[in-house]
Amino acid sequence: MKNIKLVSLFVVLFLSLVSFSTLEESSKYKCMIQMTNYTGEGAYVVISLINPDGEYEETLYVQGDDDEWYNTVESWWNFYGKKRQNIDAITGATISGGQRAITVIDIEDNKIDTGYKLRFETAVENQEYYTTDVEFELTSDNVKTKIEGQGFIRYIRMLPQNN
Amino acid sequence: MTISIWRYSHLILAVISSLFILIASVTGAILAFEPISNQLQPFAIEDGNMVSLAEILPTLQQNYDEVFTVEIDKNNFVSTSVITKEGNSETFYINPFTGEKLGEIIKKAPIFEFATNLHRSLFLKTTGRILIGVVSFLLFIIAITGIQLILKRQGGLKRFFSKVVKENFEQYYHVVIGRYTLIPIIIITLTGVFLSLEKFNLLPDSKISHNYPEPTEIDNPLEIDNFTIFQDIKLNDVTSVEFPFSDDIEDYFIIKLKGKELLVNQFSGEVVSNQNTSFVALISNWSLILHTGQGTVIWSIILLIASLAILFFMYSGFAMTLKRRRATSKIKNKFTKDNAEYIILVGSETGHTFNAAKLFYNALIETSQSAYISVLNDYSTYNEAKQLIIFAATYGEGEAPNSASNFKQLFKKVNPQQNIQYAVIGFGSFMYPDYCKYAVEVDLLLRNHEKFDENLPLFKINNQSFEEYKLWINQWNHQNNLDLKIQFKRPKINLKNLKEFRVVNKTKPNIDNSFLVQLRPLKKSKFSSGDLLSVFPEVDFIERQYSIGKIENDILLSIKKHEFGVCSTYFNNLKVNSIVKAKVKRNFDFHFPNTTSEVVMIANGTGIAPFLGMVSDNANKIKTHLFWGGRTKDSLKLYKNIIDEALNEQKLTNFYTAYSQEQKDKIYVQDLILERQELLSQVLDNNGIIMICGSIAMQNRVLEVLNIITTRHLNKALSEFESNSQLKKDCY
Repeated sequence: MKNIKLVSLFVVLFLSLVSFSTLEESSKYKCMIQMTNYTGEGAYVVISLINPDGEYEETLYVQGDDDEWYNTVESWWNFYGKKRQNIDAITGATISGGQRAITVIDIEDNKIDTGYKLRFETAVENQEYYTTDVEFELTSDNVKTKIEGQGFIRYIRMLPQNN
Repeated sequence: MTISIWRYSHLILAVISSLFILIASVTGAILAFEPISNQLQPFAIEDGNMVSLAEILPTLQQNYDEVFTVEIDKNNFVSTSVITKEGNSETFYINPFTGEKLGEIIKKAPIFEFATNLHRSLFLKTTGRILIGVVSFLLFIIAITGIQLILKRQGGLKRFFSKVVKENFEQYYHVVIGRYTLIPIIIITLTGVFLSLEKFNLLPDSKISHNYPEPTEIDNPLEIDNFTIFQDIKLNDVTSVEFPFSDDIEDYFIIKLKGKELLVNQFSGEVVSNQNTSFVALISNWSLILHTGQGTVIWSIILLIASLAILFFMYSGFAMTLKRRRATSKIKNKFTKDNAEYIILVGSETGHTFNAAKLFYNALIETSQSAYISVLNDYSTYNEAKQLIIFAATYGEGEAPNSASNFKQLFKKVNPQQNIQYAVIGFGSFMYPDYCKYAVEVDLLLRNHEKFDENLPLFKINNQSFEEYKLWINQWNHQNNLDLKIQFKRPKINLKNLKEFRVVNKTKPNIDNSFLVQLRPLKKSKFSSGDLLSVFPEVDFIERQYSIGKIENDILLSIKKHEFGVCSTYFNNLKVNSIVKAKVKRNFDFHFPNTTSEVVMIANGTGIAPFLGMVSDNANKIKTHLFWGGRTKDSLKLYKNIIDEALNEQKLTNFYTAYSQEQKDKIYVQDLILERQELLSQVLDNNGIIMICGSIAMQNRVLEVLNIITTRHLNKALSEFESNSQLKKDCY
């Protein structure tokens, strides 16, 4: 009995270790953002990970490096603006109408099929702001598809990286 | 009248927008360095833009795990966005031949970032952008009104680039620099306006949308280096290439070229859609290049110069306005119009004529005369007036100057109560075809009016010459038995800058009291015939200038002794080996032309000095004719040796003389010229040069005769040759 307890303890420990290590495991996804043919300035695009409670969990990608305009991405700014953590994935220029941008984003594997969502917010200087230009649940199907946008984004396409 | 409107709007717009223009041009000047510094980066590979897509695309696919885009910027730097073999997503410049990384993408320097922000939005976001857009448009209007003002001033499009009369530093360079930078400034402002419109979605939609065809299965996929379309396109024509997102048949290569955009099937190499870039998009692209100078150092430098020029215009424009205000505003009359005997009326455009008139007014008041000064636009009746003296400038093509715009109408309405004597002085420049035209018109108006009697005939003053003005004052004094003394401001001199010269030779005064002085510089000194020697006699330290004739390395001066002449007496008292302190002033406008076909020199009296130097220096034996007017045959003896020698050595082709005192009828040098009019017209027609040196009175007579000759033989006004720099003058 003692042994069983000990074994089960080890099993639990082992399992939790395993599960912890799987927590760290993540995959890369190629993501293309295709803009509609709107006119005017380039758009600021922010991709965030939203947890099952509908709250911001992590900023995965920011397109546009002029932080003067970050506060126009209002909803995200409420989350990010307070903490201002460093974001790895800030790229240079904004993308204007008709253009596309391709980026590679890292998503932890345990966020897939567990109620997490991916949100694409867009804002253009002197124009509208779309809180959920694109938002979809992270399912193993969705990360391979094309999803239509509501605002400045015509569609986004995701593709798991091959390696 | 029209001029005032142009000048008024030019000024008002400049005042309103000055602060913004100041910011925009300072930041613009800073930003001009960005494309220059970018161009100097080592990322452009020689002949790299001749690489075809069929070469570069497979190379990149081999070097990197995945390729997203290839871009060629305006500096011909090729960059790519890839996933490296290490799995990192990166963007960097590459060598188009090998696909290897050359360096990181240039990050905008903080100073340029700051300047850009200030330049386009003043850190005020949308409000700032609107402001800057509007100011850009205002600056465009300012440039247009500026061109209009130059056209008026120069007298038409053909004379746009002809010589500008120098009134003062600000005016001269405002016009001269304006002529060359107005075109770039118009380009900058128009493109600026266009870029603003674009940012505010005020332009028609210019985006390309492709028609995606129904995909068909490809049986035999080709390698991309075998795509004919890729073999045909060189990087030269490419703006960017976007790789297909996946190997789905519906994902295409998007090739953006200069002027069109292609969709290329990633398996067959077939062009499935080909759309031309819209006109608006092309204009936008050109606006960006022209406004920012991206990719060209030369245009960036022009933009820089234009920005600095705007700063100069702001300074010189406001300085001119202030001066003009000052010249016209400070009229403090001691007498009212109805109790002054002398009425001075002024038609002035830039304020210079006003200054001349005020000197006259002050001189009248000094001698206890009752005088009243005002502008021609205030013309009225004058109860006590005995004399009316009108100072009239001319603007543009004989138009009334600013402060006389209403005079002609007023003149018809006003009925003078008593007879008044009048004198008109015209201010103008020989360089314009309508020399003193407005003054001529005013003179005619008065002459034809029964209440006005001529006191002095119309007197014209060229280029605000003080000497001519003095001449008129003398005439006026003589006519009216007065002794007005005009107080001229003399420029201050720095006596330390004077150089020492030794007297080598000096002749005795001849029959006309003229003599020659030969000076040798003690230290090496640079001068040519036609330069001026400034001398400051100790009596009054007032500068006197003499034209230099350069004989070997000595200065030859020809001086006429005046009974009370301070300077001529000083020279006449000099002994050989005494030391003279003086300064050489270079006078490049009056040098002997070494590259012309033929030269005519016209002089009277001592004005022959520079020509003596020029002919004895004429090594190329350019055909040269010298016309000289003197009093008697004896007057010539002073110069005869030098002239004979030059004639012998064929450095002087012909020498013509006119003696005013040798025969019953006086013959002057202008009469000689009229006799040889074929020679003169032929020289001018063959782009030869005419040089005049001597007294102002002689110059004016000669210019009149020359004008007759050119009009008669060549059907052109003399001013055309003058603006073509075929006329060189040095008269006093």
